[in-house]
Formats: sequence, structure tokens, C-alpha cells
Amino acid sequence: MLRMPEPDQHTLARRKDIIAAMRDIIPSPGGVIVDEDQLRPYECDGLMAYRQLPMIVVLPENTGQVAAILKYCHTNKIRVVPRGAGTGLSGGALPMADAITISMMKFNRVLDIDWDNRAAVVQPGVTNLGITRAVEHKGFYYAPDPSSQIACSIGGNIAENSGGVHSLKYGLTTNNVLGVEMVTIEGEILRVGGKGLDQTGYDLLGIITGSEGLLGIVTEVTVRILRKPETARALLLGFNSSEEGGKCVAAIIAAGIIPGGLEMMDAPAIKATEDFVHAGYPLDVEALLLVELDGPQVEVDYLIERVGKIAKDFNAVYSRISESEEERLLFWSGRKNAFPAIGRISPDYMCMDGTIPRVRLAEVLAGMQVLSQRHGLGVANVFHAGDGNLHPLIMFDANKPGDLERAEAFGGDILKLCVEVGGVLSGEHGIGVEKRDLMGEMFTADDMKHQERIKMAFDEDQLLNPGKVFPTLHGCGELKTLHAKAVADKFPTIPRF
Amino acid sequence: MVDVLSPTTPDQLRDAVGWALGSRTPLEIIGSGSKRAFGHAVLADTVLDCSKLSGILFYEPEELVISAHVGTPLAEIKAALAEKNQQFHFEPGNFPALLGGDVVPDAGTIGGLVATNIAGPRRIKVGAARDHLLGFEAVSGRAEDFKSGGRVMKNVTGFDLSKLMSGSFGTLGVMHTVNLKVMPCDEQSASILVACDDPKIAGKVMTAALGSENEVSAAAWISSDDVKSLDVPLAQEMGSGLVVVRIEGPAPSVSWRSEALCKLLAQYGETRPLAESYSQHLWHCVADVKPFVPVGDVTLLWRVSVPPASGGAVAERLMAVTGGRVMMDWAGGLIWLQITGSDVMAHQVRDIAGASDGQAVLVRAPAKMRESIAVFHPENAALARINAKLRQNFDPEGILNPGRLSPPSANGEGA
Repeated sequence: MLRMPEPDQHTLARRKDIIAAMRDIIPSPGGVIVDEDQLRPYECDGLMAYRQLPMIVVLPENTGQVAAILKYCHTNKIRVVPRGAGTGLSGGALPMADAITISMMKFNRVLDIDWDNRAAVVQPGVTNLGITRAVEHKGFYYAPDPSSQIACSIGGNIAENSGGVHSLKYGLTTNNVLGVEMVTIEGEILRVGGKGLDQTGYDLLGIITGSEGLLGIVTEVTVRILRKPETARALLLGFNSSEEGGKCVAAIIAAGIIPGGLEMMDAPAIKATEDFVHAGYPLDVEALLLVELDGPQVEVDYLIERVGKIAKDFNAVYSRISESEEERLLFWSGRKNAFPAIGRISPDYMCMDGTIPRVRLAEVLAGMQVLSQRHGLGVANVFHAGDGNLHPLIMFDANKPGDLERAEAFGGDILKLCVEVGGVLSGEHGIGVEKRDLMGEMFTADDMKHQERIKMAFDEDQLLNPGKVFPTLHGCGELKTLHAKAVADKFPTIPRF
Repeated sequence: MVDVLSPTTPDQLRDAVGWALGSRTPLEIIGSGSKRAFGHAVLADTVLDCSKLSGILFYEPEELVISAHVGTPLAEIKAALAEKNQQFHFEPGNFPALLGGDVVPDAGTIGGLVATNIAGPRRIKVGAARDHLLGFEAVSGRAEDFKSGGRVMKNVTGFDLSKLMSGSFGTLGVMHTVNLKVMPCDEQSASILVACDDPKIAGKVMTAALGSENEVSAAAWISSDDVKSLDVPLAQEMGSGLVVVRIEGPAPSVSWRSEALCKLLAQYGETRPLAESYSQHLWHCVADVKPFVPVGDVTLLWRVSVPPASGGAVAERLMAVTGGRVMMDWAGGLIWLQITGSDVMAHQVRDIAGASDGQAVLVRAPAKMRESIAVFHPENAALARINAKLRQNFDPEGILNPGRLSPPSANGEGA
């Protein structure tokens, strides 16, 4: 079972003083939440298996308030859990009993659209889709599109380095963010990056993106916006095995084609989604590919024909091309509703998020079937086939004693399998608490210590989002000690000149 | 005498750093040494030569990934990629000649490329080396092995140290293995030339091109004087400065977008499409900054990075204040400024860049000058404090490339 850092009794004893101090910083009504019934909505994020009431929740309205809160927390050694829209799937915003949850959802304004530099400056509580909404009237959009894009905040996207279905062609959050304003735990306001492409010094923007709220609180975000492709069309391709589907994906890419979207579903996922949204998916195939090409009409028409031909050569037993925008959206409706579709056929499901080298797909899916039998739980698979990001959906019933534990064990085994074949624990959902204790599967103690040394450069007292990402936090003193086996003489084995 | 350590395996690399740590011996880390004249001279008498840590470990074109030891020559990697019609999408330039050395095609090693975070004209569309480094293995200044990332395209497992290592000039760790994302070469590539002598108008042309839906993959401005050095007959024939806009993709798409761009940009000046072979040659010249390869006396060269739309105005101001020549890349986001004479005008150049939220790096200057003038744009105090802590945490004894990032006069603290 997941262990979180012990609540600090000294902090809990000071709760009243802390509330008073927070009310001084945020005078507006509703800015400091202390009553249990009002704290309840904050007890979990998208990883609902784990719940904990926060000590208090604060909703600052400007950067100055965030700086004042963090400065107070730093001085008084109070832990802090940053929170965006709360849609994260790895428990990155899971509260702590002795921590202040800082909700950034009042930072909800689009500050500036700089059309000439193709950049949007927004506050972190603006939703991912909100950015696109703010720029689409001039034909622009923001490219990364996590499936929660209607609700998830751009600040949360920065924290998790969110991806989406278009990331092979258009990149993840990290490839689309130009700059941030971030407040450190000391209450210092940093500006990192900007509308220019180079930064001075180390790439702090790159390390802040995906740092899961462990390095600071982002109060402003500059992202690049792109012109929306003139058109998009999709193909549905069915195969008798996931192996053949995988080979077709490899062939498309080997032909030099990078589709905007390239998704795969296995038979259980196809059935569940078809029953739910009636997208017209074939039910007699073992793997279904959804390939989307976007760009100028001439390009899309040309490439769709090429992909269709490759699919034929690679034994597609089903092929359908979208002939209208409605039909394209219908093709997508199944894939986009895969999670709720599984929710309909199973009381609960757990969504995993490993990435594998694509070439190992068939092997991993076969391994998953063996694990499914061993753990006695069903699994359906949706897969960002272009970039190797797997989302196995483990079906279980939380009301059945032992089922949740079995699902967790099954999920852990799947991720271990991903790592074994050269993949990773998380493609886009983050580590949070969910995969925290599996980090050792991928990293050595020294690997982890070097990551922690980054944490130490930003937050020596480990007050920001404790209990997340790192299975065990070493003390700063230990991290600073030199362990190297210093040698007096030069090693004779190293060639010298 | 300079002592040279040449590890041939990752274990030997760790031992070498371990020895340096134990004996407090600062190391200058080099690959092929092709970018040694860029930045500050390292304050070390011992060289850690990584060129023997060489070889492609795997290259899987269908997976879009290549893994190699850091000392692998770029020429070897590019040849392997070309065989499968693939490339590094970030289009790194080749700088030995620019830095005052001999002309060496595809110089340097893959490790040096990552450590300096080089990026060419396609940067505006696809990013730099940092956006394509999927993972690495390294030895830190603590003589400990560490790694981050992996070999897959999508990975958020732990902090993204690949970004931190890219462009860190070997001051946080010595990488021995890097995994990079590769991409297919485009079926076709073409350029549009727009006659334009005024850098400010050139900025507007590039902004218009980038803001259109034609998926421009590069945009540069070259002054009429510099056009002459390019060996592109059509460009010379036009007899003016030129904005060059590139489009790449499947053939029918390229011709369609090429026509659309010609129409769109005609309002700014004469537009002419450039044939593919010349287009490729021209963009190599832009990536390698060919117009500013020194002939005879070494001249001073700055690299100014600003928000792209301010490029035209900044370029004009730089020319007026310094009397130098400029070339713009990245749709105005990158300005190369060459100054003749011995006055580097660091304050003026940095003030102009800074006033537009930009920064200026002194790419080429005599070694003596680089002892007293900061090559890299000064960081603000808050970021400098965090960077210093990172440096301290990864290399507590300061044995990795000390001095590489700041001049000796900066309190003798090195990087």
C-alpha cells in the first residue's frame, strides 16, 4: 500500500494560525477553504483510488499572493500541494493532511495573443482547449491535446508534460511551451524562457516542464500556437492481429509519412467503444488502426492514397476512408470515448500509461494476456501507435474485496513488462504517487539521486509536493556527500597520450 | 604538457572522472574539438577526450531512433541516416570554418552536438537538439553513473534531464551514450525568394509567411552583399537582398504551398521560386552561416536571439549602431551580426538584444578577448543562483569544464 510522508504534528497544531495568515494574504471571500464539506472536492484528483483531505485549500488570485503564500510556507516549514484542474491521472495533486493545497484555478485569463510571434500568454488555470478557443477565430490552435483537454489546465499540462493523440507530429507540452513565470518555494518570482527561442544558462524551462509540482508554482505560461491545418481526413484500417497492425504502422513511418494521429485499439476496446458510440467500427478484426492525415487538401488526398496502398500491402482486412468532416469525427468518437466505454462494461477501470518501442507491441500484448489470466482481471488496450504509448485499461470492481489490490498488482506488472522491453513507466500521465514506487524498475539509486539533486537546487526543505515522484527522498546532506571512489593514481586501463 | 585521457568504455570514463575527482584535477572535455573555439577556454591542463567512446549502438529507422556513443563522428551518423532517407530534423549547422578553422564537412561528434544544443534553420518549426534527445547515459562530476529518459518518443518518467544536459557544455556531467529521435527526409523541398533590401520589411515578409497556413519550415534574410557569396545564380541575378522561405513535404503539397506563398508574398517585392537543388544548397549555407565565414582577418561574430517578429527592427538597429553586417534566420528570431574592427561593442549589442527580450552570444572573437568579455549572455541573478546550485550539486568540485561558460575575470568562479 502506498505510504505518504507522516503528517507533521507541529504543523497540524498551528492550523488556526496558518488559516489566519492565509486570510491575511487572500482577503477575498472563498479564497481560503477550511470547512470539511468544502475541502471534500479537493480530496483527490483523476486518480480516485487515493483520497486525503487537505489541511486547507487556498485559491490565490495573483502572482503576488502566490509568492506571499510560498514565502510564508517556506519560513514556517509548511508543505504545499499545487493543484490545477485536478484531472491528473497519477495522483500528482493528491493532498496531504498537513499541507496547504494551492488551487490555481483563479488564474483563468488569457493575457496576450501575439499573432506575429505566434505565441499566447495565458494564466495557468486556462484550460488546454481554452487556448485553442482564444485563437481559433484567426485559424490558429494549440497543438498538444490530452484527452482531458476540455477540463485540464495548461498549468497542469506543464507540470505533467502532457501529450495527446497528435504528439508524434506536433510534440508534447515541452516542445510547445516557450516560457513560464514561476514562483519558487522562497517566494521568488522567476521568468524562464520567453518568445525568443534561446535561453541563457541551463535549460530550466525543460526541467520545469514535467516536474510534477516539485520545483515551484507556475503563474504564467507562454505557448506557441500553430496555424490549423487546412483539412484532415482519417482512415480506419482493420487487421487480423495486432502484429499485422504494428507492421503496417512501421511501414507507414518507414515510407516517410508522419501522420497527425495514429491510434490502435485491440478487440476488447473496439467492442466496448462500438457498443457505446456506434462509430461503425468492424467487430471482426483483432486490431483497428485510426490514421489521420492533416495539412493542405492536396497533401491529405495524396497521403491518404499512399497509406491506403501500404495498408493493402500489409494485409489490412478492413479499410474505410472518411469522406466528410462528420465521418472523420465519427471515426474519432470511438477512440475518444474509449475510457467511458470501458466504464460502461466494468464497474471500475484503471488506466495505465507505459511506452514501449513499437516493434515490441505484439510481444507486450501477448504478455498482457498472460498477466490478465494470472491476475484474473480483464484488460482492453488503446494505443498511441505512432509513438508507442500504451493505455491498457484494467477492468475491476472496487467493491469486491481484493480487486483493487489485484488491479494495482496487474498494472505494476504491465509497467514492469514495458520497462523490460526497453520502454518506460509513463508516456504522458506522470509518476505522481501512482507509479512512484515503481521508479526503481527503471532507475538506479544513483539515477534517482541525480534527479533529487535538481529538486535540491529548487526546494532544499522538500516542501513542494512531498511524497510524489520519488519513492524515498534522501536528505540534502546525504545528497551532497561525495561517494566517489576517488583514486590516487591514474587508472592504468585508460589509454593516455 | 597537456595530459590526455582517452577512455574507450563507459567504465573507463567513470574511472577517469573518479581519478580527476580524487586528485581535484579539472578536466577539459572534448569530442573532436570542432567547437573548442566557441565559448571560453577551459581552465584545465588535462583533456578528457571522448572521441574513442565511439560507435552507433543501434539505429532503428522504423522506430525513428538512433543510439550512439558520444564520440561517434557526425559524418558517420549522417551517412547512416542518409542511407535510410532520414535526418536529424533540427538540421544542425557545421561550424569549423565559421569559427576560423578549416573547412571540414559534417565536423564534430554527436556528443558535442547535444552538449551545445545546436539547431539550424528548421528550429522555428521543430525545435533544437534538446527537443530530439530522448535519453542519455552519463557520469556526473561526482564520478557516478546516471541516466535519464530512454529510447521511446513519449516519456514523462521522472524529471526530464535530457533537456538539462542539452546545451550544458559538459559542465554537469560527461555523457557517454545518447539516444536521439530521427525523422524521415521530406519528399520534396523548395524555396521562394523575395527581393528585399530592408531588414525591417524582411521581418514583415517572414512574419507573414510563418503566419500563413503554408507550414513554412525555414525563413531567412540575406543582404545583397552576402547573397553574392552563396553560389546561387538566380539569387545573384535578382540583384538585391533576399528573404528566403522554405517549404517541405510531399511533392503535390510543396508545389501547391509554393504557389500560395508566391501569391501571398508578391506584395512585398519580386518573388521567384528556387529549384530544389539550389534550395538545399542555400539552406546549407544559412545553417553554416556561410556569408560570415572569415576571410583573412578574423572578424567578430555575434549571435543574437530575439522574439522572431522583432528581428527586423533589432537587425536594423544593430547595423546602425555597430556598422556591422547581419543575416537573419528563424524568421527573424536569430540574427548573426558580423563586426569588422576590434571593438566588440558588447554593451551596445547586449542592450539592444535585451531591450527586445533577447540575448546575445559572442560566437567568434580572439582568444584574448574571450578572457575578459562574457561570451554567453549574462543571466539574471535569480536564475544564476539556481544554475549555480545545479552545477554545485552535479559537480561539487568543479572538475568538469571549469571556465567554459564564463570568463576568468568573473570572480574566477568558472562556469
